[in-house]
Amino acid sequence: MKARISVNVLSIATLAVLWEVAGRLMDTTLIPPLSNIASAWLRLLMNGKLLENLVMSLWTLAAGFFLAVILGVIIGVLMGRFRPVEHFLDLYINALMSAPMTAFVPLLIMWFGLGVESRIAVVFLFAFFVIVINTMTGVKQVDRIFVEMARSFGAKELEVFFKVVLPAAMPAIMAGVSIGMGRAVKGIVTAEMLLTLTGIGGMIMQYGSAFATDALFAVILTILMVAMIAMKLVKIVDRRLTGWKAEIAIE
Amino acid sequence: MVEVQRVSKTFQRIGKNGATELKALSDVTISIREKEFVSIIGPSGCGKTTLLKIIDGLTPYDGGEILINGKKVTGPGPDRAVVFQTFALLPWRTVLANVEFSLELRQLPREQRTATARDYLKRVGLADFENHYPHELSGGMQQRAGLARALAVNPSILLMDEPFGSVDAQTRQLLQEELLELWQREQKTVIFITHSMDEAVYLADRVVVMTPRPGRVAEILDVPLPRPRIPDVVRRDPKFVDLTNYIWDSLKKAMENHH
Ligand SMILES: Nc1ncnc2c1ncn2[C@@H]1O[C@H](COP(=O)(O)OP(=O)(O)OP(=O)(O)O)[C@@H](O)[C@H]1O
Ligand SMILES: [Mg+2]
Repeated sequence: MKARISVNVLSIATLAVLWEVAGRLMDTTLIPPLSNIASAWLRLLMNGKLLENLVMSLWTLAAGFFLAVILGVIIGVLMGRFRPVEHFLDLYINALMSAPMTAFVPLLIMWFGLGVESRIAVVFLFAFFVIVINTMTGVKQVDRIFVEMARSFGAKELEVFFKVVLPAAMPAIMAGVSIGMGRAVKGIVTAEMLLTLTGIGGMIMQYGSAFATDALFAVILTILMVAMIAMKLVKIVDRRLTGWKAEIAIE
Repeated sequence: MVEVQRVSKTFQRIGKNGATELKALSDVTISIREKEFVSIIGPSGCGKTTLLKIIDGLTPYDGGEILINGKKVTGPGPDRAVVFQTFALLPWRTVLANVEFSLELRQLPREQRTATARDYLKRVGLADFENHYPHELSGGMQQRAGLARALAVNPSILLMDEPFGSVDAQTRQLLQEELLELWQREQKTVIFITHSMDEAVYLADRVVVMTPRPGRVAEILDVPLPRPRIPDVVRRDPKFVDLTNYIWDSLKKAMENHH
């Protein structure tokens, strides 16, 4: 673990040095030296712009992602447990799972207008389907013997579900949630760039069209950091819920 | 008293070539006394597990009747508990939490639950492993945990499906002795499925021999061996040798008639 971290640090340091050198040698605005980006980042941080936009983005991200997890798990569970529900929905879910969600943005604008609702809807759509599919698969793959065991000891349907099916499916659900989180981050940036030019996505468009590359890179790096932290959060939750699975896998 | 009366079971399977039927059990009648230890032996696929699940109330049956103390079985009940062939321990629960599982379902308060579970883990010799996860245990230990879980609900009828099938010979011998001790102490009715003639005779008061599928009762044999049974003594007893040989022949005959 320690070795891994020090290799990561080394990798980042190498990239930073190369970037700085390349930026200084090439002397164009297209690749600004890292130090310029850092000062742009500090500037945006000090004048509050970055934080203000970041908070707005994160709030939207959280709302859309939360909805996607709740509804995704519920629909996925229903599809996994009840054949007719699965047969009724799987066509659409599978089609939408790999469809480019950006194509739906104009439609969403018509439905929800240009407000935050549209952006939440985009985040939701980006994250939702993969969570549904993973949840459904996880629920369907629960070993029958566990369910029989629970019934044998007198479990009622709800107990079978909450004490056996849900925990057994949790690794698959969390895998879906984790991929969903990655997609949700893509969703929020896409929404802000295409819809309303707000939040960090909006900043990208703004600095991009102004050729303010140092500020642009500062925002991009911020997004990368947000994505990393978001994935880390999911991982922490995952550890708590399905640590037992990780332990089995290590052997 | 467990009465299996003319029980039949046909599975409907929906496959590629439409629905097919598979007759698993045909006209099975066994009457088991209270506190009796009965072994059921028969070739693979003859419906032993199916029969056990029917007695437990997990699997519906389509002919005959199961009566327990005169009452018809319609589903699982607190008077019965199963020890599953594949353990069926929940991998996300520790050994203690697995044993508590059966008690949780009976709405026992938390402290009582833990105390009871600990007590039964001690009885099966797993006291030091309560915080381990199932995958950290050997097969024999997992089987003991499954046994503790079943015993913890204090059933009067213990249904055991080839419980020692997947452990090594030495562990098996040990578990057999422990089971007999426990059975004598706790005074339960035991229905014990096995593939092993030696095991069937060593443990039981009576041995039920089943035919190949569709499973029927070929013979029910008394085991005239005194208790407590000391393994080395019992296995050298001529009556033991005769009986295992007889069962071997009986199984062979059942197979031959089948073909
Ligand atoms: N749920 C089911 N649906 C369809 N067929 C089944 C089902 N359960 C069991 N069977 C079939 O019924 C027959 C008897 O199965 P069962 O598991 O009871 O046999 P068994 O005597 O326990 O075998 P073994 O000794 O190998 O454990 C088998 O042919 C099996 O394929
Ligand atoms: Mg079986």
